[in-house]
Amino acid sequence: MIDPVNIRGEFPIFINNPDLIYFDNAATTQKPAMVIDGIKDYYENHNSNIHRGIYDLAASTTKKYEVVRQKVADFIGAPNEQSIVYTTGTTAGINLVASSFLSHQLQAGDEILISAMEHHANLIPWQMLCEAKGAILKVIPINQDGTIEKPLYKALLSPKTKMVALVHVSNSLGTINPIAEMIEIAHDHGIPVLIDGAQSVAHYEIDVKALDVDFFVFSGHKIFGPTGVGILYGKEEHLKKMHPINFGGDMIKNVTFKKTSFLDGPQKFEAGTTNIAGIIGLGYAIDYLNQFDKKEIQKYLKHLRTYAVNKMLEINGLRIIGSINNGNNSTDQAGSIISFVMDGIHPHDIATILGVEKIAVRAGNHCTQPLMDFLELPGTTRASFTIYNTPFEIDKMIDALKGIQQFFN
Amino acid sequence: MCKIQKDKFLSEEQVVNKMNEELKKLYKTVILKNNNEPFAFEKREEAEVVLEAYNQICGDRFRLFFEIENDKIVNLSFHGFGCAISKASTSILVKHLEGKSLIETKDILKSFLNVINPEGIKEENIEEDFQAFEAAKDFPGRSKCATLSWDALKEYLEEK
Ligand SMILES: Cc1ncc(COP(=O)(O)O)c(C=O)c1O
Repeated sequence: MIDPVNIRGEFPIFINNPDLIYFDNAATTQKPAMVIDGIKDYYENHNSNIHRGIYDLAASTTKKYEVVRQKVADFIGAPNEQSIVYTTGTTAGINLVASSFLSHQLQAGDEILISAMEHHANLIPWQMLCEAKGAILKVIPINQDGTIEKPLYKALLSPKTKMVALVHVSNSLGTINPIAEMIEIAHDHGIPVLIDGAQSVAHYEIDVKALDVDFFVFSGHKIFGPTGVGILYGKEEHLKKMHPINFGGDMIKNVTFKKTSFLDGPQKFEAGTTNIAGIIGLGYAIDYLNQFDKKEIQKYLKHLRTYAVNKMLEINGLRIIGSINNGNNSTDQAGSIISFVMDGIHPHDIATILGVEKIAVRAGNHCTQPLMDFLELPGTTRASFTIYNTPFEIDKMIDALKGIQQFFN
Repeated sequence: MCKIQKDKFLSEEQVVNKMNEELKKLYKTVILKNNNEPFAFEKREEAEVVLEAYNQICGDRFRLFFEIENDKIVNLSFHGFGCAISKASTSILVKHLEGKSLIETKDILKSFLNVINPEGIKEENIEEDFQAFEAAKDFPGRSKCATLSWDALKEYLEEK
């Protein structure tokens, strides 16, 4: 069972700020003591560069660092650690796939397919590649309830489609996309698929092998780990064929002035000294998350979402965006993110006022400007929950929202 | 264990009351009034100058419409969408700059922007309409809302 009060106690930021209500978990989660202490321990007791020294300290750090690769592989069901590339985050992973995997294959007139609810990170790299190659970026529209228009998805796949890139859980709407089914459909056409798991890995069981997904990317900082680290999972057959795009130390087999040969494994993408402390911190974050049953997490978050939605809908003039969220207890297509608007009150004003009450929410376009244009909204206010949030905190937000309404009317 | 300290929180009624007090600091009557009943809030696509003020962080977007005749800003109006603070500050801009000469405009721009600038030196005899925005500098990320249209106009006049 999820015990949010106990969990809250494991996060120093809440001990130091007992009245902080943190509902901006989709932007970044807070860090448990386990992660913070782990990073401190690394710097205090183990700091050294990896793959370079042969003294004890360097050897043990290299081991600590490489162990995380296996940990990540197990965490997302990857066949082995050779398919796990350390990156600086979701954004870097997508850019690497665009530049190193797709760039060499893409011809003028080819197509890349994304959805209308992509984060800018899963849009701009493809758009830039299309511009450079004369290829075309196609977009799967969404329904008013915030779900993908599945019939149109199928219709948009063509022999020219060279890549499908989809968000698993939308950071703006909370929609959970049916990725298993969508991957299968793409594969029926022989098209590789990248899944942006930035919002899903913390709360959902991911099994990249069962999904048969070609690439899966996520960030450490959204799963209780540090900023500046992330993971690109790629099928080994793909990674083997991909060329590095950064060059330097730590990635080579052999270097002469005439020619360089690269390592075979994921290390060929990790030139230079990486964020060692961050990777080690990510390992602790995974250890932390592994204490919980993902099914229990989902059950708890569904409870929180339903609780919040029901109370929010009682507020006059408040509208939840992506009506998939609206009250339906049984829906499995909505995550723990609620985006909403209030009649006549700008999201920015709502967020400022909630901020005065020490309730942290996000306002704006959430790095999904085309989606906001599609919904004809200048932006939304977004509350995103995780395992340390409580119904009590939601009550406080509801009180504040009522206060906002009174104030502006 | 870190119990949520429920006694640290207020009841719904207390919250609403306290919020009212706090928020009145930022959302002065002037701001609420100009947000609800903005001054010269109309589109005029055919205007000689159509100036866009856009904040890509939050998506606020206003357009100013005006002509410059005999070195004076005339027929000034605005349209667009934004938060209460950016809308009210644009409304105040329109109200105070209509019919002003370019030289006067520069002084007024300076005087308004100075109110929101955290390093600004407090001047005497500031317009009450301007003073209402002072608190914006104390709220994270909100001073840009107050200066959005003013900055755009300043930039336009400097480049002109
Ligand atoms: C769905 C989604 N994709 C990509 C990103 C980008 O992640 P990062 O900034 O960690 O690279 C985010 C986070 O903002 C996200 O929510």
